[in-house]
Amino acid sequence: MMNEITHLPEDIILKVEDLDVRFYTYAGVVHAVSNVSFYVREGETIALVGETGCGKSVTTRAITKLIESPGRIEGGKVLFRRRNGKIVDLLKISDEELREIRGNEIAYVFQDPTSALDPLYTIGYHIHETIIAHKSKISKKETFKQAVNLLKHVLIPSPEVRVKNYPHEMSGGMRQRSVIAIGLSNMPRLLIADEPTTNLDVTVQAQILDLLKKIQEEYKMGLILITHNLGIVAEVADRVYVMYAGKMVEEGPLEQIFYNPQHPYTKLLLRAVPDPTKKIEKLESIPGVVPSLISPPAGCRFQPRCLYAMDICGRQEPPLVEVESEHRAACWLLEKRGGSK
Amino acid sequence: MEFVYKTLKSIIWAYAKLREKLSPGWILKNSSRIREWELMVYAYSKSPIGVIGGLIVLIVFILAVIGPLIAWEPYWEYKILYDENLRYHPPCLPPSCSGYPLFGTDEWGRDIVAMSLYGFRISFVISIVVVFLGAPLGIILGLISGYKGGVVDEIIMRVTDIFLAFPGLVLAIAFASVLPQRIRGVLETNSALRAFFSGLFGLRQEEYGQLAALLSIWFAMVIVWWPGYARIVRGSVLSVREMPFIEAAKLSGLSTWSILFKHILPNVLSPVLVMMTFDIATATLFAASLSFLGLGPQEPVPELGFVISKAGGYFPERSTHVVLYLGIILLIIALGWNLLGDALRDILDPKTRRAIEYRLEKEKKK
Amino acid sequence: MEGVNVGLASFIARRIITFIPTLIGVLLITYLIAYAIPADPVRAWVGEKLMNPETLEQIKAKYKFNAPWYEQFIFLIQQLLTGQLEDPVRHKNVFTELTSRFAVTFELAIVGFLFLVLIGLPLGIIAAVKKDSPVDFAVRVMALVGSSLPAFVLYYFLILAFFNYIQTTYLAGIPMPSSACTTTLSSLPQTIPVLGNIVSAIGSIPMFGAMMCGEWSIVLDTFKRLYLPGLALGLLNGGFIARIVRNSLLDALSTEYISYAKARGLRKLSVWRHALKNAMVPVVTVLGLNFGGLLSGAIIAETVFNIPGLGRYMYDAIMRLNFPVIIACTFLIAVIYIVVNLVVDILYAVIDPRIRY
Repeated sequence: MMNEITHLPEDIILKVEDLDVRFYTYAGVVHAVSNVSFYVREGETIALVGETGCGKSVTTRAITKLIESPGRIEGGKVLFRRRNGKIVDLLKISDEELREIRGNEIAYVFQDPTSALDPLYTIGYHIHETIIAHKSKISKKETFKQAVNLLKHVLIPSPEVRVKNYPHEMSGGMRQRSVIAIGLSNMPRLLIADEPTTNLDVTVQAQILDLLKKIQEEYKMGLILITHNLGIVAEVADRVYVMYAGKMVEEGPLEQIFYNPQHPYTKLLLRAVPDPTKKIEKLESIPGVVPSLISPPAGCRFQPRCLYAMDICGRQEPPLVEVESEHRAACWLLEKRGGSK
Repeated sequence: MEFVYKTLKSIIWAYAKLREKLSPGWILKNSSRIREWELMVYAYSKSPIGVIGGLIVLIVFILAVIGPLIAWEPYWEYKILYDENLRYHPPCLPPSCSGYPLFGTDEWGRDIVAMSLYGFRISFVISIVVVFLGAPLGIILGLISGYKGGVVDEIIMRVTDIFLAFPGLVLAIAFASVLPQRIRGVLETNSALRAFFSGLFGLRQEEYGQLAALLSIWFAMVIVWWPGYARIVRGSVLSVREMPFIEAAKLSGLSTWSILFKHILPNVLSPVLVMMTFDIATATLFAASLSFLGLGPQEPVPELGFVISKAGGYFPERSTHVVLYLGIILLIIALGWNLLGDALRDILDPKTRRAIEYRLEKEKKK
Repeated sequence: MEGVNVGLASFIARRIITFIPTLIGVLLITYLIAYAIPADPVRAWVGEKLMNPETLEQIKAKYKFNAPWYEQFIFLIQQLLTGQLEDPVRHKNVFTELTSRFAVTFELAIVGFLFLVLIGLPLGIIAAVKKDSPVDFAVRVMALVGSSLPAFVLYYFLILAFFNYIQTTYLAGIPMPSSACTTTLSSLPQTIPVLGNIVSAIGSIPMFGAMMCGEWSIVLDTFKRLYLPGLALGLLNGGFIARIVRNSLLDALSTEYISYAKARGLRKLSVWRHALKNAMVPVVTVLGLNFGGLLSGAIIAETVFNIPGLGRYMYDAIMRLNFPVIIACTFLIAVIYIVVNLVVDILYAVIDPRIRY
């Protein structure tokens, strides 16, 4: 097992292959994530898009084995290139090595900052402990200084005061920015941000996104952005991954996804976003509901809601087929048409 | 367990049919509620501690009701006057011994099994009445206090705090030591009350002095019990009060009382019911403790705690069997209610109910 | 811990202010019990002893039995707050006896609390870490039996085991430090102000006094005397505490902030620190209330184990119908209880910053 091929192209820092996560509940086995693969390059931003419950958050948590019972990672590989150049499979390394990487080389920004922060500790303390967990010889004064700096970076006013605040003493928006600050505290190689700007108002949102872009350029930090907001995706993403019901249905460069979407689901998603410059009579929505993942259907999971559903869609799962360079989609329509436009 | 489920289910449907007769269409309107009950009953039947607890409670209830009626020795006869040997006679098991009660006798030579039958009635009545009086009192005050807020809330909470400022046993002791005088006076003059309470506790009317002590304990306990419920209910009301469905009810013009009873109370009720069940166990032991300390009925009333305290003087040389037997009885009574409360708490937790629902569906399909 | 001071100080101030109306309420209830409820208050105060009519009239006047209720109330408040309640028959100030009795109850409370924590905390933590294991089950059973067993029955059987069969304890009196020690300690306030008072107060509790004078045999003796009731109290309530610790810890371990702590790569110790601190919040409250209960005199334990504490004093008073003592004890115990609750609330605010508002 140790000598398995851990080959990663030069510029790729993270490569997830065939990830499978299942939850063993009293109602049955939930196939939350099935055969999901994606990769992230140095300094690149990828967007993970999809509706609630499609498995985006579970996928990103599974990367560093943050899945708790009754969930279990049932298969797959997560190859990561560490700062020292070593390539490891995050699902197979020791607990201690994994701990070294978490918060240090791969950092998370959790979706709900209020529940992510321990109410009994100050923001400053959260940052302090995140830093000293990974750096041994550093004084409290030094971490305090860094904490104030980080808070300033994420545009929190009067950071010297705020650093001594408890979570409940801050507004929702400030908590959200604090969690981003904590994520950045060790200058990670990869930042995984789950809806990092939902609670922020538009101007602050734009500033935070600018900040993330700046840090990325400076430190070649990879960014996985989980979001519903296609507007943000258009702003910052280099490549987009679209998930549905635990499966990857389309992936590709930003322009490709926006101007040449192949999967019916992607098309509907894009149509559902109203264009502020056009007047429309009715908001578009996608009819139907997300299927239960307990005994997933045999064929394509989107088939019940798909306008173009064919016979084969109900029987067999479509494979990811290449449309163009780096642009792939999983739909039988592509096979029919010979796999290209 | 199947048997338990079927029996309880038939009780639910008998009740449903009765309501149907009184107001046709009731079953249809309440079909989802009936389904919830069926689920709860199913969950209950699947819980071994619940069934055992329920069984114990049922047996205790039956013994409490028929106890004084089937007791083969009257409690007011001091048997040792006839036979000195009878004082604290150890358990007499044939064939090595015969002619004496199976489990032994107490200080006055009375068969402790027969005396425990009276004890069941006394303990049961006190614990049930204390909780079923103290709890509603506390619940109503808690509802009003939580819902109205403002001055009313402040006043009720101050009063609750003051009562809670005393440790329960101390407060009960204080009240129980001063009340008997007064109550005795009332019982002396009012024969109707005397007859009623004597009958309730399974005692003779001649013992009204001891009855006064018993009622004092009861009264003192109610005073100790209600503040806890007021606090808890108020807390629940405060969190439910802000919810949109309450505002909707207000906007649709419902009176305060119907909002309180039809909307807020059901949401607050589950933890309260669980607490009440546990409290009956606590009340049983509490009353026994008060009697143990000498505040309850004295000779010849065989209150369980009192008999044990008397036996304490001869322990362990002569009275081990008394302490053991009566102690185990108290243990079992409290255990029954505690087990029931534990099971109830699990059943009323919506998460476990969903799990049970899935299991039920699967079993039905088989 | 930064950010502690201002919020906490104002919280403490506000909390102490609410202490006062509660105290007044307690006085009111004590008054009800002393004067209003008894059918014949004079009889109650004087007891069954026969008195000649003159003395009776004197007593009635002194204790204001014939005066209107507010005068009676004020009289009672004066007596209780100045610690001067005098027994009409025995002409002794009830409160002098109370302080030495309280010291003994305090000792018992400390020993009982020690056993409670030593049994409850570790068991609770193990039950949480090894969820659904035999240990977890045993804790559940222990909590169940502990709350279903009548305390006095347990006490009798423990005495049977440890006193009658294995003689490891004794059941009379309470070990006291030597008179040399007590005189030294009680003279401290005169030589060293403030600090001397504090040390002297702590030293009035026999066990601590002996410790301060280095009389360790007395301390050992105290444990020998008190370990049995302490153990009993620990066994009865230990299961309950363990369950609370277990549930609280499990709740804390399944929160988002613990997941987040792991996601930040914190060491196991740090993660546990987060979980334990959060879990301790409800536990501290329960432990505090339990200690308050012990301090208010575990009456039944003191009676069965023959410990000359506050609870026993009250029990004897009930048996002998010594009314002034019952009143004084009720009042004192209530005050102790309120003070302990106050301390618990403040402790809670120290640990959990959200409470300070």
